[in-house]
Amino acid sequence: MSELENPFQETLLSRHRAEPCSVVIFGATGDLTHRKLIPAIYNIAAAGDLPPQFKVVGFARRDKTDEGFRAELEEGNRKNSRQGHNDELWKSFSQCIHYHRSEFEDLEGYKSLGKLLDQFDAERGAPANRLFYLAAAPEAFKPILEMLKKAGLNEGVGGKWARVVCEKPFGKDLATAQGLNAVVAATFEEKDTYRIDHYLGKETAQNIMVLRFANSIFEPNWNSRYIDHVQITCAENLGMEGGRGAYYDTAGALRDMVQNHLLQLVSLVAMEPPTDLSADSVRDEKVKVIRALRPLVGPEAVGKNVVRAQYTAGSVDGVPRVGYREEDRVNPESNTEPYVALRLMIDTWRWQGVPFYIRVGKQLPKKATEISVHFKKPPQIPFATSTLLKNSENTLVIRIQPDEGIALRILCKQPGQAMSMQQVKMDFRYSSSFGKASPEAYERLLLDAMAGDATLFARRDEVENAWRFIDEIEKAWHKSDAPPTMHEYPAGSWGPKEADDLLRADGREWRLL
Amino acid sequence: MPSATLNESDLDRLGLETPIGRIDRALKQLWEGDEAKTRASLINLAIYTEDSRQLVADNELLDHVAAEHACRALLILALPEAQPPRARAWIQALCRPYQGKQIVCSEQISFVLEGGNAVQVQNIVFAHLDSDLPLVVWWQADLAKNFEERLYSRIDTLILDSARWEDPARQFDVLLAAMHAESGDFDVRDLAWTRSHFMRTALATCFQDATACHNLDKLQTIHITHLKGQRTTALLLAAWINQRLKAELRVELIEKDSGPALQSLVLEGAGVRGEVRRDCDSCFVRVSSTCGENTREDLLPADVDSDAELVTELLSRFHGSTLYSSMLPFVRSMLK
Repeated sequence: MSELENPFQETLLSRHRAEPCSVVIFGATGDLTHRKLIPAIYNIAAAGDLPPQFKVVGFARRDKTDEGFRAELEEGNRKNSRQGHNDELWKSFSQCIHYHRSEFEDLEGYKSLGKLLDQFDAERGAPANRLFYLAAAPEAFKPILEMLKKAGLNEGVGGKWARVVCEKPFGKDLATAQGLNAVVAATFEEKDTYRIDHYLGKETAQNIMVLRFANSIFEPNWNSRYIDHVQITCAENLGMEGGRGAYYDTAGALRDMVQNHLLQLVSLVAMEPPTDLSADSVRDEKVKVIRALRPLVGPEAVGKNVVRAQYTAGSVDGVPRVGYREEDRVNPESNTEPYVALRLMIDTWRWQGVPFYIRVGKQLPKKATEISVHFKKPPQIPFATSTLLKNSENTLVIRIQPDEGIALRILCKQPGQAMSMQQVKMDFRYSSSFGKASPEAYERLLLDAMAGDATLFARRDEVENAWRFIDEIEKAWHKSDAPPTMHEYPAGSWGPKEADDLLRADGREWRLL
Repeated sequence: MPSATLNESDLDRLGLETPIGRIDRALKQLWEGDEAKTRASLINLAIYTEDSRQLVADNELLDHVAAEHACRALLILALPEAQPPRARAWIQALCRPYQGKQIVCSEQISFVLEGGNAVQVQNIVFAHLDSDLPLVVWWQADLAKNFEERLYSRIDTLILDSARWEDPARQFDVLLAAMHAESGDFDVRDLAWTRSHFMRTALATCFQDATACHNLDKLQTIHITHLKGQRTTALLLAAWINQRLKAELRVELIEKDSGPALQSLVLEGAGVRGEVRRDCDSCFVRVSSTCGENTREDLLPADVDSDAELVTELLSRFHGSTLYSSMLPFVRSMLK
C-alpha cells in the first residue's frame, strides 16, 4: 500500500515524504557515519520526518554488538547533532539501529544481511524500501556492489525499491569513474543511484536556482551582455590535519574539489532554466554546462589557464604552519597541488566570452566558499573619473559557507555637495533573517534519497563529463614532457602570484574575501 | 470582559515611550552609532488585542518570535471604551546575539489606543509598516468589531486562535464572511489548528502500514482528551479526521483541568485501534496502532503548546494550504 492510500498522510506534506525503509551503511564504523550520517538521521527523527518503522544497519568489518555500536554512535551524536541530544529521543531512536559484522568481500555476510532485512520486513508486516549507503573507502565500492548483486539485494522486494548512495570521490579519473559506473549500472538502475555531493545540500546552493529563476530582475541580465565574469572561491584555512594528507596527496585540489563541488556550482550558475523541477530536467541542464566547458588540452593550454601550487611554511591567524611537503603523511617529493586556480570558458550562446575563474586551496587566510557574479560597467558614467570606478562594478555575491547569504554591491552617491560615488553593499544573511537554523546538508540529502528525489545528486553523465574535462588537465600536469610549473605560496596568503596574474592578464583581479 | 486598567510598570516593559508623530525619527536614532547591531526584517507582524491583561504576554511573545523571524513588530492594545481618548506609543529593539559577536535586531512599536476605533487602528497599522514586506496580523479580539474590510484587504496572513473564542460559531461566521468577500484573499492560520499538527502527523504514522490502513473503514469512534478551554482545538481535529475518512465517526470529547492542550486521541473500531498519547511534560508522543493481535509502537516529536512557539512554528510553515478553510464548514456544522 502506498503512502497516498493513507488518507491522513496526503494533507500534511510540504515536501516529499519518505516511505518506510531500511538504510544500510557500509563503512559504519568510520568518521562519516559518526560525525554526519547518524546525527543527520537523528535530526530528521527529531523533526518528525523519519518514516515509520525505520531501520539503520551498520555494516562493517569490526566485531561489535548492537548495544556497543549504539553506544559509540550516541557519543558521536552528543558531539555532532545540530539540534543537541535528547536522551528520551535517543533511547527510542537508537532501537532502530543495528550492527552487522561482515567483510565487504564475503558473500555470506550479505546473505545474512538479507535475512536481517527480511526479518525487519516481517516485523513491519510488509516489505520496506532499502537504501544502501556506501560510506566505505572508494576501493571497497566495487566488491560491495558486486556482493549486493550476488546476494540479490540490489532489487526491491514486493514492489519496493532498492537504492544506492555513493559518497565521493566517485572515481579518480574518467576511466575509474566509468569503471565504477559500469559496476553500479550492473547492480542498480541509474534512477536508483544517488551520487552524493554535500555542497548541493547546502541552503545557498539550492537557492541559486530560486535566485535566478524566481526573480525577474536577475535572469534577463544573466548573460554575456551584462556579466563581465564570474568568480568562485573555495578557501580552507586548514592543511592536512588529522592524517588527511594520506588521502589528499593521492588526489589534490583539482580532483578533490573542482571535479565535483566546484563544477556543480559552475553548472548551477550557468545552466539554462529547466523546463520543470524534476530531477532529470534540472540535471539535463546542468550536464549541458559541463559538456560546454571549453577543453583545456595540452600543456600550453593548461599552463595558460590553470595555476597549480603548493604552500610553503607560513602562518595562518598567527599560528605557524609547515609547508605542504612537510605535512604528516604527505610525500616529501609530492607533486600534488593543494591549490588550483582556473580560467574556464563555457561555449554557449549565453556565456560566450565570459570567463569563470575558480580557485580552491588549503592554508589560505580564512575558510570561505562563495560565488561572485561581476556585472559589466555601464557604457558611460557621467559622474566620475575612471580611477574612482576601480572595482566598482555591480557584484552579486552568493555566500555558500560560512554565513550563508547573498550580497549585492552597488554604487551610491556620497552625501555632500560633490557628485562623488561610493560602493555600498546590500547584504542578506540567512542566519539574521531566518532565525531557524538550516538543516545540515546530509539531512536534506538523506531525506531526498529516501523520498526518491534525485535533483541534488549527480547523474552518471555529469560525473563522467566532469572527469573528461579534469583528465586533460591532469594529463598535462603528469604525463606531458613539458608540464606546467608547480608554483608556491606561503601558508596564510591568498595563493601564488601566478593566480593573480591569471586574472591580471585579463584586466581583472580576485575579489577580496 | 477585557480589563481597561493599565498598569504603568507593564507599560515600562514596552521600551521607550515616544510621541506617535516621532516614531520614525526615534527608530532611526535607535540604530545610529551602533555598528555592532544589524537590523533585520522579513515581515510585518502585528498583534491586535483589546485586553490589557494580554499586553505583557504579547510583548514577551514578540520577543520570542522575533528571535526566529526577523520582523517589524507592532503591538496594538485598543481600549475602545476608555475615556478620554488618548494614543500612546513605545519603541524598542528586539535583539539577539549572532555567533557571539554581532547583534541582530528587529524593531517593535507598541501602541495603546484608548477610545480607539476601527479607523484609528487601520491608520496606525498602515502608517508604521515596513514597506514591501508581507503583513501578518494576529487578531486576538472579537472579529465582529474593528475587523473591517479596509483592514483585512491589506492583510497577507491572519492569525487567530479559535480556541479562545467565547462564541466560536459566531466568530467562524464572521471569518467565513470575510474570507468569502471579494477582497478577503488572506491566508488564515488558526493556532487551534496548528496546535493539533503533531497529533495529525502522529495519526498518519499510526495508519502508515498496510494492515492498519486496510482497516480504516472499521473505525467507529474518535475519543479526544483535551485541556479545558481547548474544545475547539479538539473539534477541529475531529472534523479533519472525519473529512479525511469521508465518514461520520462518533466523537467523544473528554475535558481535563490540567496538562497539554491535546492529551490523547484514540480511534477505535472492530479489531482496529490507533492511539496517540502525550504525557504531560514530554516533548514526544507515544503512538500505537493495533490491528487484530499486532500492536506497533513509536515515539514522535510533539510540538510545544505555548502561543509563542506556535506562532513561531506557523510562520515557518508551508504557505498556501487550503485545508483549513475547506474544513471550516464541517467545524461550523459541529458547533450547531
